[in-house]
Amino acid sequence: MTSKPQPRATAELERGYRNMLLPAVFAVGIFAIVPLAGMLALSFSDYHLIRGTNWDFGFKNFVRLVSDKRLMGSVYAMSVLSFFGVLTQVLIGAAIAVGLSKIVGKWRLGRVLFLLPYAVPHVAVALIWLSLFTPTLSPINAFFDLFGITVPSFLTTQNGALFAIVMADTWTNFPFAMLIILAALQGISPDLDEAAALDGATRVQSFFYVTLPLLIPAFLMVTLFRFIDSLKHFPMIFVMTKGGPGRSTQATNYYAYIQTFQNSNVAYGAAIAVTLFIVAAIISFYVARLNQRITS
Amino acid sequence: MIDNTSSFRVKKAFGVTIMLVLLFFAALPTVWVLIMSFREQAEIFEPIWESPLAVTLDNYRGIARSDFPKALLNSFICAGSSTLLAMIVGVPAGFALAKSRLSGKFYASWLLLLLRMAPPVGFVIPLFLLYVNAGLIDTYFGLIVAYMTLTLPLIVWSMWNSFAQVPDELIEAAIMDGATLGKAFLQVALPAARPGAVAAAILGFLIVWNDFFYALIITRSSTVTAPVAVMNFISYDSVDWGSIAVASIALTLPILPLMVIANRYIVQSLSGAVKG
Repeated sequence: MTSKPQPRATAELERGYRNMLLPAVFAVGIFAIVPLAGMLALSFSDYHLIRGTNWDFGFKNFVRLVSDKRLMGSVYAMSVLSFFGVLTQVLIGAAIAVGLSKIVGKWRLGRVLFLLPYAVPHVAVALIWLSLFTPTLSPINAFFDLFGITVPSFLTTQNGALFAIVMADTWTNFPFAMLIILAALQGISPDLDEAAALDGATRVQSFFYVTLPLLIPAFLMVTLFRFIDSLKHFPMIFVMTKGGPGRSTQATNYYAYIQTFQNSNVAYGAAIAVTLFIVAAIISFYVARLNQRITS
Repeated sequence: MIDNTSSFRVKKAFGVTIMLVLLFFAALPTVWVLIMSFREQAEIFEPIWESPLAVTLDNYRGIARSDFPKALLNSFICAGSSTLLAMIVGVPAGFALAKSRLSGKFYASWLLLLLRMAPPVGFVIPLFLLYVNAGLIDTYFGLIVAYMTLTLPLIVWSMWNSFAQVPDELIEAAIMDGATLGKAFLQVALPAARPGAVAAAILGFLIVWNDFFYALIITRSSTVTAPVAVMNFISYDSVDWGSIAVASIALTLPILPLMVIANRYIVQSLSGAVKG
């Protein structure tokens, strides 16, 4: 930092900034902190949508969490969806980003074509993939029928249903990974590759030792953002499987919805939401730190 | 460094093949939904090559006559209003966070990220109870206010990133010349950050337009938004696939141009870290 000329009292400026910030602080307080405080209060209560409350506050919802087998099942479903969804999105997004960056003349239409799935609202994504996974309707099934191959009905088994949701999720979200990785690739100076080549590196070596390390922040960012989003899975489960077959695709966010709005067990649903919230808080802390380190 | 050795050509062919496969994966659902939208109701379950000429506009006419256009209008109203409100409050806040020397900025960034990343079920449960008691279920006011929980953190965060890229010297120079902070903000900083502001508004609009969960819980028939209204084409014993296809297209088309405009700013807005 060079020494700055002091334009007028800095304190006065800072007061001005604070005034610009105040409406947002006020709004965030009302629109976000109040509901979150409500969620926290509910999670310690015994509130039931139909029976109401006996003002019985305590830790019993959280005690129940620990031994809830359905919750464990939901964590399993969520983990599978998150892990495979994020993995395939990042891999496909990276592959397309590398491909697009190689294309001479920056083929803009290609970029738009690959971007298209990202523009489709999640409900529509879920409905389109539901149609593709409906054996009587799907063109994929019809195509394989021509060769006498019967494509199994994915939505009737746990692994198949999880696979179907991962497919839909990947289809709509790989462009996000593609955009960020493509931006990072374009930010890398071609001089670096040339320098590596002069030093005798092969293309493959220069990709792994020069390009890839420079992409790590982009990969980290994409993975973290997509992972956190994947904890919020809802429309695809609601539309494609309704949590089934059985309860096998009830990811945790969906399970909290079921407990609250179908079983009327608001307090318990809130306790699940609080737990998810804590996970999101821990991860977003690291994202904020990462962001701070990279920008400063 | 262009070598035309055969191994290079094999690698290139391999790369092109992978790109084509991925393009097929990206395009198939889109092409399929277009085909479905033009299929006759009676033939929709037949393979396309058995009745390629069973083409009709009935599905489109059906949607035009249904309640779905009203739901699209509701989506527009809610997405537009909550974005506009969040911009009015959030843009100055983003400026202040980017340029002031306030302490605790790290915690502000954490809070903003957390609000964007928090599972929506946590917001919706208390909002639902509050709205039931306050008579705000199925009202525009209730829905728009609820959507502020989505738009505001997003807009403050992305405007913070946009204003951070405006050189401090520009603002200092304006203030040296006697401008007030408000003037420096409106006449110097905001024009410089205009692409970022457009992107922030587009992202805010998109996040509300895409929302399913809030609308599912706090709307009923009169303010229902399009993503929830589309579920009306699924009844207990049958699914109206033709209408669903048209509705999916109607849900996507209005925001497609926004996405094309905003895509190069999405990267910058979402993470200041990875420069686009």
